[in-house]
Amino acid sequence: MNDTTTIGLTVNGQPCVAEVEPRRLLVDFLREDLGLPGTHIGCEHGVCGTCTVLLNGASIRSCITLAVQADGAEISTVEGLARDGEMHPLQDEFADRQGLQCGYCTPGMLMRACEILAENPDPTPAEVRSAIASNLCRCTGYQFIIEAVIGAAARMQAGGSVMKKAMS
Amino acid sequence: MTAPPVRDHSRQRRWVGQSIRRVEDPKFLLGRGGYIADRITPGTLHAAVLRSPHPHASIVRIETAAAQAAPGVRAVITGKQAAELCDPMPDFGPDPARHTWRCLAADKVRYVGEGVAVVVADSRYLAEDALELIEVDYEPLPAVTDPERALDDGAPLVHEALESNCAYERTFDFGDVERDFAEADVVITDRLRWHRSGGQPLETVGAIAEYDPGSGSFTVDTNTLSFTSYLFMAANTLKVPANRLDIRPVPAGGSFGSKLFANKPAVIAAMCARATGRRVAYLEDRVDNIANCDHHGSDRVYAVELAMMRDGTMRGLKIDVIDDYGAYIQFGVGHHGNALAQVVGPYTIGSVRYRVRAALTNKNQQGAYRGFGSEVNNWMLEQMVDKAARELGLDPVAIRRKNFIHQFPHFIPTGNVYDSGNYDAVLDKALELADYGHWRAEQRRLLQENRYIGIGVISAQERSVFSATEFWFWFDEPGAPVTSTPESVTLKVDATGGITAILYSCAFWGNSPETMVSQFVAEEFDCSPYDVSVVYHGSRDGLPATGPGGSRTTVMLAGAVEGAAGKIKDKARRAAAHLLEIDQGDLEWADGGFRVRGDPERRKSLGEIAVMLHLFKHSFPEDIESGLDGSKVFDHPYTTMPSADRKDLGVFYPFMGHACHVPVVEVDIETGAVTFLHYAAVHDCGTLVNPRSLAGHIVGGTAQGIGTALYEEYVYDSDGQLLSSSYLDYLIPSAMEVPELVIGHVETPSPYTPHGVKGGGEGGRMMAPAAINAAVNDALAPLGVRLTELPMTPERILSALRAAGATG
Amino acid sequence: MKPPPFSYAAPTSLDEAIGLLAEHAAVEPRVLAGGQSLIPLMNFRLAKPGFLVDLRRVAGLSGIRPDGDGLVIGAMTTMSELERSPEVAMAAPLLAEAVGLVAHTPVRNRGTIGGSLAHADPAAELPAVALCLDAELVAAGPSGSRLIPAAEFFTGPFSTALAPDEILTEVRMPARPGGHAFIEFSRIHANFAVIAVAALVELNPDGDRIARAALAVTGVAPTAIRVTAAERALAGAPAGDGAGAAAGGGGAGSAAAAEAARVGVEGLTPAGDLHAGPETRLALGRIYLRRGIELAISRARNER
Repeated sequence: MNDTTTIGLTVNGQPCVAEVEPRRLLVDFLREDLGLPGTHIGCEHGVCGTCTVLLNGASIRSCITLAVQADGAEISTVEGLARDGEMHPLQDEFADRQGLQCGYCTPGMLMRACEILAENPDPTPAEVRSAIASNLCRCTGYQFIIEAVIGAAARMQAGGSVMKKAMS
Repeated sequence: MTAPPVRDHSRQRRWVGQSIRRVEDPKFLLGRGGYIADRITPGTLHAAVLRSPHPHASIVRIETAAAQAAPGVRAVITGKQAAELCDPMPDFGPDPARHTWRCLAADKVRYVGEGVAVVVADSRYLAEDALELIEVDYEPLPAVTDPERALDDGAPLVHEALESNCAYERTFDFGDVERDFAEADVVITDRLRWHRSGGQPLETVGAIAEYDPGSGSFTVDTNTLSFTSYLFMAANTLKVPANRLDIRPVPAGGSFGSKLFANKPAVIAAMCARATGRRVAYLEDRVDNIANCDHHGSDRVYAVELAMMRDGTMRGLKIDVIDDYGAYIQFGVGHHGNALAQVVGPYTIGSVRYRVRAALTNKNQQGAYRGFGSEVNNWMLEQMVDKAARELGLDPVAIRRKNFIHQFPHFIPTGNVYDSGNYDAVLDKALELADYGHWRAEQRRLLQENRYIGIGVISAQERSVFSATEFWFWFDEPGAPVTSTPESVTLKVDATGGITAILYSCAFWGNSPETMVSQFVAEEFDCSPYDVSVVYHGSRDGLPATGPGGSRTTVMLAGAVEGAAGKIKDKARRAAAHLLEIDQGDLEWADGGFRVRGDPERRKSLGEIAVMLHLFKHSFPEDIESGLDGSKVFDHPYTTMPSADRKDLGVFYPFMGHACHVPVVEVDIETGAVTFLHYAAVHDCGTLVNPRSLAGHIVGGTAQGIGTALYEEYVYDSDGQLLSSSYLDYLIPSAMEVPELVIGHVETPSPYTPHGVKGGGEGGRMMAPAAINAAVNDALAPLGVRLTELPMTPERILSALRAAGATG
Repeated sequence: MKPPPFSYAAPTSLDEAIGLLAEHAAVEPRVLAGGQSLIPLMNFRLAKPGFLVDLRRVAGLSGIRPDGDGLVIGAMTTMSELERSPEVAMAAPLLAEAVGLVAHTPVRNRGTIGGSLAHADPAAELPAVALCLDAELVAAGPSGSRLIPAAEFFTGPFSTALAPDEILTEVRMPARPGGHAFIEFSRIHANFAVIAVAALVELNPDGDRIARAALAVTGVAPTAIRVTAAERALAGAPAGDGAGAAAGGGGAGSAAAAEAARVGVEGLTPAGDLHAGPETRLALGRIYLRRGIELAISRARNER
C-alpha cells in the first residue's frame, strides 16, 4: 500500500507533476509537497472551510479531497491572488475593512470570495452573507468580511485592475 | 500600593484613536502567516497521541511493540514512560500533589480523549497508522459526569488521593449580607445552569521542539507563549533548569483563551525531541483539540438569591455556585476571581455572599475562554435582575438605571475598584441604536399574530487587566502569594532612526499587538506606525511577559511602550542637549525630535541623535553609552493586597469597561429556533486605540456569545462519552447565525492608564449570552416560560414550552 | 486526522471499475465519487477501505438527459450541476430545491447524486427526494445492470441494497405533477438537517381536493421514509387556500395538512441524539410535514 500515483496538475498557473500516495490529502500536498502553506487546516472533516481552494474555478475543501482527485485540474490558492507585488482587490479590501483578525480562515475565505464574485459580480450584503456561510470564522463575526467582499465587488466592477501595493 | 496618580488625558492624539489598517495584515493576506504548522522543515518528525475511549478507567496494560515496528516510527512513549521522562504539568490548582496532571495518563484515564501514549514518526500519516497498532487493556471504572452528583458521598473519585471530588470549597462574605437580606422587602431566587463551551479557534495548539544534548537545552516554537516568569514550571516538567528552555512565539490562528499557557503540546513535543534526538512537531488535530485541549469553559450550577426593595433597589446577593472543572484544575478557581471582580455588575449592591465549590468530574479540564468566568456572572446577575423586574412589576430598563453606580472610582463589596464609567450614557446610546421604542411596538403588534418577539436589555461589566492576587486570595495561607503579571517592551532606535519594538509573549492571537504598539510608538515619536518594525522574542533570554488574557494587552503594552519610550527620550534629550550645547531643561520634544524652546530652528531629529549615539561615541561625555534603546518591564499598575480575613480582596481588576447589548429576537415556538431581527451593542472601553479593531472584537465576541447562548456545548452523556466530538456536533455559528450588529462606542477614559485606555477584547462575549437569554425570556414571557439553562437549544426551548403546556 | 493507507485506481470504463471491485473484494473496496462523505469518514478512520475505485475518469456516468417527461441523471453528476440545470428545474423542481439545501457550495461542487444516494446518510436530503419521487436507481455489477426502486434501496442507516460489487450508475427521476416542497430544519444553516421533508401534492382537476400526495421525511426513523399514513390522510382531503396557519391562513388546506402531519408521525419511535430528543423529533417532524404539505399545496394551486 505504499504505491504512489503520478499526477499532473496546474497550481496558480504553474504546471507540476508529482508522485503521491493515493491517501495524501490535497491540502497536505499543497502545503508540504508544493511549499504553499497559505492554505490552512482547520477541522479535517469538511465543515469549517479553512482549507478552501479553487479547482477549475470552483471552490472545494482540500482537506476532504485527495491529491489524486486533482489530477488534470487547475488549482488556485491564496498564493496566486497577488500579482507582481500588488494585492488582489479582495485582499486589499480585507485589509482596509479589517476583515481579518487572526488571519487563519482568511485564505479560504478569499478563495471562496473569488468564486462568489465570479458567479455574482454585484451581490447584495445578504447574498454575500449567505454565500460565505460555507466558511467559518471564529474571530470577526463575519461583518467586516462581508463589507470587504462588497467593497471588492464594487472595485472590480469599476475597473477590474484597480490594485494597491502589497505594503501600504 | 495605593491608586496610581490620576492622569491628564487632555493632550491631542495623532495616532491613538485612528482606525488605521492593521500592521500585521499583509503577511496573512498573502498566505505567509508563519503559523506553527507552516514551520515544518524537512526532516521534522511528527507526533500523534493515542487518546482514551473511556471516561474513567485503569490502564492495565499497554503493548507498543507492533507500533514501534511500524513503518517510519521513531519512538513510542506510553504514559508510564512519560512519567519517568517528565514531571507533572505546571499546575496552579489548589492541591497539585493530589490532583496530579501529567502530559499523558500513567495509571488511569480520567476523561474521554485523555492521551495515553504518543507515537513519533516520519509523517503524521505514519504516526496515526502506528497509533492503531498500540494495544491498551483498560479496566473501566464508574464515571461521574454531573457536578452535583460528583459532590455526593460515595461518588466515584476522579483522584483517589484527593479523597473527594470537591477540589475547593469556600464561602466569602463581603459587606453586611445578613442585614441586607433581613431588611429586604423581597428575595428573588433562582437556579441557573451554564454548560461548557470553548474557544475552538480554527487553528489548534501546536509545538515544534528540538533538544540539544550538548547543552541540555530545549528550543520550542509554539503558538502559545505566556506567563514567561512561570515557565520555570514547564522546565521543571521537562526536568531541565529554567535557563535551558527557550519557548519562541509564533502567530496564533485565534485563541480566545484556549492558547493561554497551553503547554501540553510543547511538553509532549519536547519530550519526544529528547527521546528521538530529532526535531519533533506535535500539532493537535481537531478531535485532539475538542477532547483534550485543557481549555473548556465554565460549567456552572447556580443557586442565587437577590435581596430587593419593592421600589427596585438592589440590596444584596447570595450566590452558591458549583463549577464543574473536569478531571484537573490547572488554574484553580481563578475563574471565580474574574466573577468577583465585577460580581455586582454596574449596580450599587452593597453585600455579597459567594460560595464556590469546584467539582471534579470525568471531563476535559477547564482552561480559559473569553471572559474567564466573568461572562457567566454577568449572565447570572442579569437573569436575576430581569426576574426581579418581572416579579416587582418594574420596567427592565428602569430597574437598571435605578441601581447604576454614578460615582467613580467605586469600590465594590469585594474590594475591587471600578475606575471610571458612565453607565447611563451607554444605556441611552444602546436604546437609541436599538430603536427600542419601535421594537417594543413591533413586539406588541406581532404578539397579536401569535409571533413571539423578545428584546433583551442588559448592562454589564467588562473588567480588564488582572492582578496576580486572584490566583491566591482563595487561601488564607497561600503557598505562593505572587504579585507579578508584567508585560515588557524593548524599543530600539537604529542608526537611521528606524524604530524596532520587541515583544516578549505570544501576543498575536488575532488581537493586534503589532498595530497597538505601532500606534503607541508613533504617538510617542511622531513617526508613521507603518515604519515601526515589531518582532517577537523568545522566553529564555527575553524580558518577563504575561501575554494576552483578561483583556490586558492594550493597557499593558501602552504602559510598557510609554516606559520604554520615556527611557529613550531621556537619553536622547541628554544627547541632544550635548549636541546643541544647551541645557536639557531648555529642550522640548516636538515633531519627531528635540528642539530648543523658543528657537525651533535649533533642533535635532531622533534620527540625527541616533546616528550620533550609535557611531560617534567620542562626541559624547564618558557616561553616555553608545546606542539608543530602552526596555520597560511594566508591572500591573494598580494592585492592592487582600485583607487577612479575606473580607476585602483588594484591587485586582481595576480597569473596568462596561457595555449594553440590546438584541431583538423572534422565537419560533413550534421549532425552538431563535432568529435575530436586530442587534445593537454599545461598549465603553475607555479611550480607543483603533476603533475599527475594537468593533471587530465586539462583533467576533458577540458571535461567540451567540454560540454559547444557542449552539455550542461540549456534551458529555451520562456515561461520560463526549458526544460533540467534532464540528458535526460542536456547532460553531456561521455567517447566517450572526446578525449584522449596530455598534456604538462610548469612551470614558481610565484615570490611571496611558491615554486612558482600558481593555475590551472580551467584551462581546461577556455580554451576548446574558442579552440573548434575556431576549428569549422576554419573547416567551407571555407563555409563562423562562429559560435558565444555556445553550438554549431547540430541545431545551421546546421542552420548556411543553412543560408549560405552551407548544405550538 | 489522516486517512489510513489504501490501494487505488482510477479506471476509465465502467467494466474496468466493476472488475476492480470484484478483484479486490477481500480488502473491502469502496467506490470513490466526490468523496464528500467518504473522505471525512476516512479522516476519522471510521472507514478503512483497502481499495478505492475512483470513478472520476469513467466516461458516461455524469450528465442529465430527458427520459419522457422525467430525467435520467448520471450518478457522477455533481450537486452543483444539478443546481444549475434548467432541465432539473423544469422536470424535477423538488430535486432542484433539495439540492440547494445540501451543505454548502464547496461540498456541492464535488458531491454527487450517486455518492449521496449510495452513502445513504439518514440525515441526507437526496434519499428523501428519491423516495418521494419514486425514483429508480440503476446498479451495474458483474452480471449486468438492474433497476432498484427507491422504496427498496435504503435498507438502513448508511446501508443500501447495492451489493458490494455493484456501482450505482444512474438515477431515473420520473416527472411528477403537482406542487413540490423541500424544507428542512437544521441548527446551523446548511448543516445536516435534524428533520427534512420532501412533499409532492397533486390536486384534482377542479383544484379543490388533493388527488395524491407523496411525502418523505428524514430524522424520525433509521432512514428517510415515506409517510404513507399521512399520504392516505391527504388523499381526497380539501385543498382549501393552502395558506399556513402562521401566515394567517387557516383554510381547509392547512387543516388537512395538520391532520395528515399528526397522523404521519404517530407511532414513530425516533432515536434521540444530542441535537433533538425523540419527543422533539416527533414534534419537528409533525411541524415540518405540515409546513411542507402546506407549501406544496400552495404551489400546486399557483401552478393552475
